Amino acid sequence: MMTRLNDTLSVTREPPTPRTFSKAYWDATREKRLLVQYDKRSGKYQFFPRATSIYNGHRDLEWREVSGKGEIFSYTIARRARPPFQGHEPFLIGLVTLDEGVNVMANIVHCGLEKIRIGLRVKPFWLPLANGAHLLMFEPD
Amino acid sequence: MALHDAAIVGYAETKIVEKSDRDVWELGAEILETLLGKTKFEKGEIDGLILSASMTGAGNCFWSQTTADQLALEVDFCQTVDIGGCSPLGTIARAAAAIDAGLCSIVMCLFADTQAAENNQRMRAFHNEWTVPLGYIGPPAAFGLLSRRYEHQFGLDYAALGKLAVAQRGHAVLNELAVEKLRKPITVDDYLNSRMIADPIRLLDSVMVCDGASGVLVTSRKTAEKKGLSKIVVPIGYGERTNYRAGEAIVDVTESGHYVAGQRAFAQSGLEPKDIASFHPYDDFIIAIMMQLEMLGFCKRGQGCGFVNEHSFTYSGDLPLNTGGGQISAGQCGLAGGGTNVVEAVRQLFGEGGKRQMKDTRNALVTGIGGIPYGRNWSSSVVMILTPNA
Repeated sequence: MMTRLNDTLSVTREPPTPRTFSKAYWDATREKRLLVQYDKRSGKYQFFPRATSIYNGHRDLEWREVSGKGEIFSYTIARRARPPFQGHEPFLIGLVTLDEGVNVMANIVHCGLEKIRIGLRVKPFWLPLANGAHLLMFEPD
Repeated sequence: MALHDAAIVGYAETKIVEKSDRDVWELGAEILETLLGKTKFEKGEIDGLILSASMTGAGNCFWSQTTADQLALEVDFCQTVDIGGCSPLGTIARAAAAIDAGLCSIVMCLFADTQAAENNQRMRAFHNEWTVPLGYIGPPAAFGLLSRRYEHQFGLDYAALGKLAVAQRGHAVLNELAVEKLRKPITVDDYLNSRMIADPIRLLDSVMVCDGASGVLVTSRKTAEKKGLSKIVVPIGYGERTNYRAGEAIVDVTESGHYVAGQRAFAQSGLEPKDIASFHPYDDFIIAIMMQLEMLGFCKRGQGCGFVNEHSFTYSGDLPLNTGGGQISAGQCGLAGGGTNVVEAVRQLFGEGGKRQMKDTRNALVTGIGGIPYGRNWSSSVVMILTPNA
């Protein structure tokens, strides 16, 4: 039996309130640009944004723009949800490994149940939010 | 002195209910009175109070102090442990440490929460920015991601998980303190056919939030002996790990801090997995039980379901599992829920298991799981090994 999945694009999300150390991320989404924190000492990326390097406790962090391309690390089909998502099930929540080596959680859209699988290549899809920022989603590449 | 010089001299537990019509401090008062009655200590002799975290108490950052006031306890050591579902076991370890350090001598560890009736939590974490906008409902979604990944790496035998659910449910049927709604037997087919919540997580994989309280009284073995308390349970091994692999951007979600916490607890106790007489793991989702079997070394990684199929987990089986029903079948008393399984282990080692009394009470292994982080499995893992009057 084929289950049709919803993209939840019509669900109105409250724009998140950034923290002092995540503001740059959200600002960049206004132009649909994906910034990820890069730790210069270790030469590694990290996500979600933090006030410190997860690798060494220093703060030699910079923002680097990345393509947002990656592959599905895991996914779940949400079949029960709370408002405002209630009534929009089933929809996909995925954990995506970006090519830069970080895992990002996001909705996976434009992707049927027959297509979703661990290892599937994906690229960003940006959902506009009320404040001009965008929410990062992914769709099959 | 060391961990094994501490003694649990009494336990208490309220009925678990879907939604409490009694205040959280009324539940706390019931635990206090029961502990005093069972141990013959006077209230004035209790000089330490350690609480587990509580969703009801979450609006009050003076929680342990306020609760001491409400219960009229005058103490030399007072704190709340806030490592989620690991908190109840964490209180026992901290009680032992505080007694060992000479800070206090008789400690009430109280686990009370009425999350269903009164949830005062306001979460300041990653959720608002990074998961709420996705329609992510928290633990079931996290375990959905975890289960799918486990299945990808090792394969997943859902009927084996169902076997664990059935064993626990059978124990809840025999447990008069378990929430009434869940005291009906289930089959593996019931488990497999229960509706999907966060596919592949099913309804019968999951806990139901309930209200209730439990607690233990901890002192030194020496004090217990002086008091003439011969029925005691001793913690002989403990391990705790928060934020396993914190310094890695991508972690293997099929591996948890129980791996290191378990090694420490086993080393302290001088026991090995094959020596464990009963298993009382923290159960927020059924798959967590199976994964802990792997992490603690009962079987190799990826072979948890095979191990489940080869063993019997009923109270009369070769590895009794959560003989009170676990949180999944007895009901999860909010953040006090970690107390349900530890109190049941103590009850069994006291030989007071009634209709579900296990035969082999040489020891019991109890665990905790606390907190759901971003894109990992869980935040804290604890393991404690208990033995009667060692």
